[in-house]
Amino acid sequence: MTPPPVALAASESKPQLGFWRGLRGVYDIALEGMVWSRRSLLMAVMLSLPVVFALLYRYALVARLPAKIRGFDLYGVVIALFYIRNALPLAALFYAVSLIADEVEDKTITYFFTRPISRASILFGKFAAYVVTTLTLTLPATVVTFFLLTTARGTAEISAAAPHLFRDMAVIALTLIVYGALFMLFGVALRRPVIPGLLFLFVWELLALLPGYLPRFTLTAYLRSLVPHRPPDEGLAEVFGQTLPLGLSLGTLGILLAVFLGLAYGIFSRRDYVLEQ
Amino acid sequence: MSGAALAAPIEFERASRWYGPVIALNDVTARIEPGVIGLLGPNGAGKSTFLKLAAGQLRPSQGEVRVLGRPGWGSPEIFHRVGLCPEADAFWDGFTGIQFLTSLLRLTGFDDAECRRRAEAALDLVDLLPAKDRKIGGYSKGMRQRVKLAQALAHEPEVLLLDEPLTGMDPVNRRRVTDLVKRLGKAGRTVLVSSHILYEVESMTRRVLLINNGRILAEGDVREIRDLMDEHPHTVSLRAKDPRAIARAVVGQPHVISLAFGDEGEWLTVQTAKPDEFYGALLEIADSAGVREMYSPDEDLQSVFKYLVPK
Repeated sequence: MTPPPVALAASESKPQLGFWRGLRGVYDIALEGMVWSRRSLLMAVMLSLPVVFALLYRYALVARLPAKIRGFDLYGVVIALFYIRNALPLAALFYAVSLIADEVEDKTITYFFTRPISRASILFGKFAAYVVTTLTLTLPATVVTFFLLTTARGTAEISAAAPHLFRDMAVIALTLIVYGALFMLFGVALRRPVIPGLLFLFVWELLALLPGYLPRFTLTAYLRSLVPHRPPDEGLAEVFGQTLPLGLSLGTLGILLAVFLGLAYGIFSRRDYVLEQ
Repeated sequence: MSGAALAAPIEFERASRWYGPVIALNDVTARIEPGVIGLLGPNGAGKSTFLKLAAGQLRPSQGEVRVLGRPGWGSPEIFHRVGLCPEADAFWDGFTGIQFLTSLLRLTGFDDAECRRRAEAALDLVDLLPAKDRKIGGYSKGMRQRVKLAQALAHEPEVLLLDEPLTGMDPVNRRRVTDLVKRLGKAGRTVLVSSHILYEVESMTRRVLLINNGRILAEGDVREIRDLMDEHPHTVSLRAKDPRAIARAVVGQPHVISLAFGDEGEWLTVQTAKPDEFYGALLEIADSAGVREMYSPDEDLQSVFKYLVPK
């Protein structure tokens, strides 16, 4: 066995690693842990449910349903109702609140804090791993669902529908990023962030179904305004026809994203999490 | 403060840390010079808080903690030159030993080839190279302790902070780590080792900082405390494949006060009046008896502190 090179001269002072280099290192570690987790397995099942539905429709239901129920309409329901309104916010909640909280609870945060990297690299490296993991789970399922549903009665409608697919994929990414940033903020600021997160999703976000200005205080109103699909059961929102302008939606979501990330970083950089262990 | 006054690698200047109403460290002033120094105190004395402040993991509520001339808190750049072996048995369990070390070395700024080289050297140093491709989740307690130590050593830091580093290690690896710590100290590194077991610290250094109730009680030679300790029996708990073989080997020795077997048949608890003699005898049979884990409760040290600190 080689003894340690203990006679090494005292090293000169070096600066901390650059932001991107630190972020890349944290991202690699976080991705490794995230991809092969039980949480990802559970989320993969949940986010793939539309594929199961599409297979069922294509091979069992399509012959029994009237021709006016188009596969593309069902795909629209999957995107607007299942993904944007329910599954993606839920996936964001269960991943993003634990990005830092799990490391603190497992006491592994110490390994990040004892490296010459900034806290910004740690936080945003973890966030990047979350975005990549959830997109990897969601986008293939979306594409498969799209093709299974829109080609169930032939390939006639696929060329007209294809541009929607790309737009929907962009909105899916934005949904995961914005909700992820919000729930990451919950995770760094609150000791038990899951319950407040669930309340936000299933109580606060219902404001989007009300008339007037109230929907503007929700995230879902802006996100739903970005997808062209209008699901049939939107209650009062359907009556009052709430669709916010594209520019307003994108601008507001951009500002909110910056606020959520900025606040999360502000809290994370000042707090000594070791105390909570 | 003048530059000369800040020359020590670790300096506490009237540092206090409290958690809500609880004072964990109270107005501590200390200078940790190069070499090995033991931070000795019973559980709850403030050792971990002291180490966490030195490792920049906690912000002092009052006063100042400087490491290599910079504030410990909020100076990530010091971790090119500081290594911490934390007390907690915490890992990313899905990682293999080599993956764990290379990932952390990458965060210290080394390229891939250098990460691999350093990771293997550090694992070799703690005798884990044969297990490098196994997942840490499947390591024994002693192996986990050693891989934790390896990550603290791999970037060859000038300042090494070791929080109860020998916990759970078998006698052979204890000896190996003890020798390594002594070598690092002789080479001019600053090694601060916390422990609640006097004999552990004594095997690495004679310089100790005595800490209790959040205050540094004394700094000095471990032998003075040792003299006090000899009045109290020392307790050692061992987990071994064949604890009866150990019992047979030591039962007739005059320093052994009592022996007791644990419920599961793998544990043996020994009370001895002369720990040095007991550890010497144990080392001879540790391999054949299959000793896997060893720890010492802190009642002995607690009793010395009661003796040292009048109410």
